[in-house]
Amino acid sequence: MFHGAAVYSSDDELMNIVVPFLQAGLEIGAPSMVVLSEQHSELVRSAMPDMSQLSFLRDPYLRPASVIKSVQQFLTGHILEGARQVRILGEVPHPGVGMPWEWWARYEATVNHAFDQSPVRVLCLYDQRITPGDVLDDVTQTHPYLMTADGHHIVNDRYRRPEAFLTQSRPTYSDPLEAAPPLIELRDPVPLAARQAVREAGSTTRLPVADVEGLVIAVCEALTNSICHGRPPVQLCLWANPDRVVVTVTDCGAGPTDPFAGLLPAATGPPGGLGLWLAHQLCSLVTLEKTKDAFTVRLVAGKPASCHLDAVKADAAAPPPRG
Amino acid sequence: MRRTGVIENTRGLGLHDHACWAYDDLNDFRCRAREFLAEGLGLGQQVWYVAQGDAEPLVDDLRDLDGMDLALRVGAARVVSVESAYPAGTVVDPVAQARAFVTAATQAQMAGFTGLRVAADTTPLVRTADQLDAFARYECVVDRCIARYPLSGMCAYNRQQLGEEVIAQLACLHPNINGGTAQFRLHAANHAAASLNGELDMTTVELLSLALQRADLQPDGDELVIDAAGLTFIDHRALLMLADRTGRMHKTVVLQTDWPGAAPLVECLDLKEVRVEPPEWR
Repeated sequence: MFHGAAVYSSDDELMNIVVPFLQAGLEIGAPSMVVLSEQHSELVRSAMPDMSQLSFLRDPYLRPASVIKSVQQFLTGHILEGARQVRILGEVPHPGVGMPWEWWARYEATVNHAFDQSPVRVLCLYDQRITPGDVLDDVTQTHPYLMTADGHHIVNDRYRRPEAFLTQSRPTYSDPLEAAPPLIELRDPVPLAARQAVREAGSTTRLPVADVEGLVIAVCEALTNSICHGRPPVQLCLWANPDRVVVTVTDCGAGPTDPFAGLLPAATGPPGGLGLWLAHQLCSLVTLEKTKDAFTVRLVAGKPASCHLDAVKADAAAPPPRG
Repeated sequence: MRRTGVIENTRGLGLHDHACWAYDDLNDFRCRAREFLAEGLGLGQQVWYVAQGDAEPLVDDLRDLDGMDLALRVGAARVVSVESAYPAGTVVDPVAQARAFVTAATQAQMAGFTGLRVAADTTPLVRTADQLDAFARYECVVDRCIARYPLSGMCAYNRQQLGEEVIAQLACLHPNINGGTAQFRLHAANHAAASLNGELDMTTVELLSLALQRADLQPDGDELVIDAAGLTFIDHRALLMLADRTGRMHKTVVLQTDWPGAAPLVECLDLKEVRVEPPEWR
């Protein structure tokens, strides 16, 4: 596989990178999946002479586990139809576009493992003007190749193997709501009690029932993992405002041993992997946090707090928002 | 339509209804059996009281109910000692036992009753593992009969003697149960292979596995339709268990539910063997 990152600072630079990438795919009959903002999609459409092999996804990247699944389906489908290669072109969300980065950083590392032996070329685009420095630092560590502004690529000597990147100590994410005491705090809850707590909190919000039930499933899975594979006590904390519910499930165990837990299904791998993978597909944000003596899964329904990691820390020090 | 849910007493149950009542003291059983049977008499059903002990003293449990004396004299009510009907250690034959009740219900109808209603304390019939397994299978068979024939039943079990785990194994096979006995219920439905209600999670994995073995659900054509209108949660373990059982038969599970988590879960797991539909009664 090829997994490259391109950092651009103007639309012209973007097109200088994107068009040759897609054009090269067209020349060898490689179908391409394009996941860009509407504005950038329009630029690509106007620049490409032949659109026959291009699939533009209308929805942006929302959940990394779902993106990996979609890419796998795209890849498998086209390979079965005779394609020798597929190409993926996308803009990965980050705080510069109002989305938390934690699970996308894990996504960028995991892609290298998920498609290691696959005939796929993945190009990830980052706008230097709005991408935070710590995100760009992660981008450099998670892409084996870097694209230059003239559309060529170089081998990235700062690239780290995904297992190494994913197991290193990383800045932790927390939601600004967590600066206030939790609305609900349960110690060693049974799954039924946890579900009731989430439903009760969800019913006070403006969230669609489907989103709340997605969170209910995810919380139940995280709690089940803590009970079955973690160490007691298990602590569930819940915060909510009208647009968002945040739940943390913490146990005293070491967390999953699989560095790709949550982003790839692990039905036959280490225990607990399928539940986390489901949670990653059903929540609007899932973060994993390991400390010396605890493991925390954070699950969010509703739009995650749009903030940069540093801003989160600043928000956490500020008075809690109303709601 | 059959009543299904968690009940606080045994009143208001009609023909085709089937309840499990776990009791902690005998007076509670007597009280629930009396209200269940008294309503049966009012509905024109023949009523049977099956309990532990000699038949003669058991009659006294019912005698002060309105009309019971007459009912006992004319055969509208009957009292049966469990011990005399089933010698100690009896392992029931599920099909033969259910057939006996269907025959009795038919005879009751022929005698002019609207059907047969049985309140039974069957604690002595589930004391060993073999007895329990056979009786649990019987509960599934007789529940299908109750749904179809003019029967209604109340099965009582002594929680103190049997323990929570055994109670859960039996309760989960009934459409109506008293609180705290089982988190889900798998039972007969006229328009589907079964009804599945309640919440299924890690705490019910083994119970569901046993219930599915004992219920021995049979597909209709290529589909195994499950009326899950009362399902409010199912985790991936339970869903995979359902898919696995039907997948081995090369059939599709049709889960009729409006629980909003079902379809996303099936989609996330990419379960080709499971299809989610709205409940049929809508």
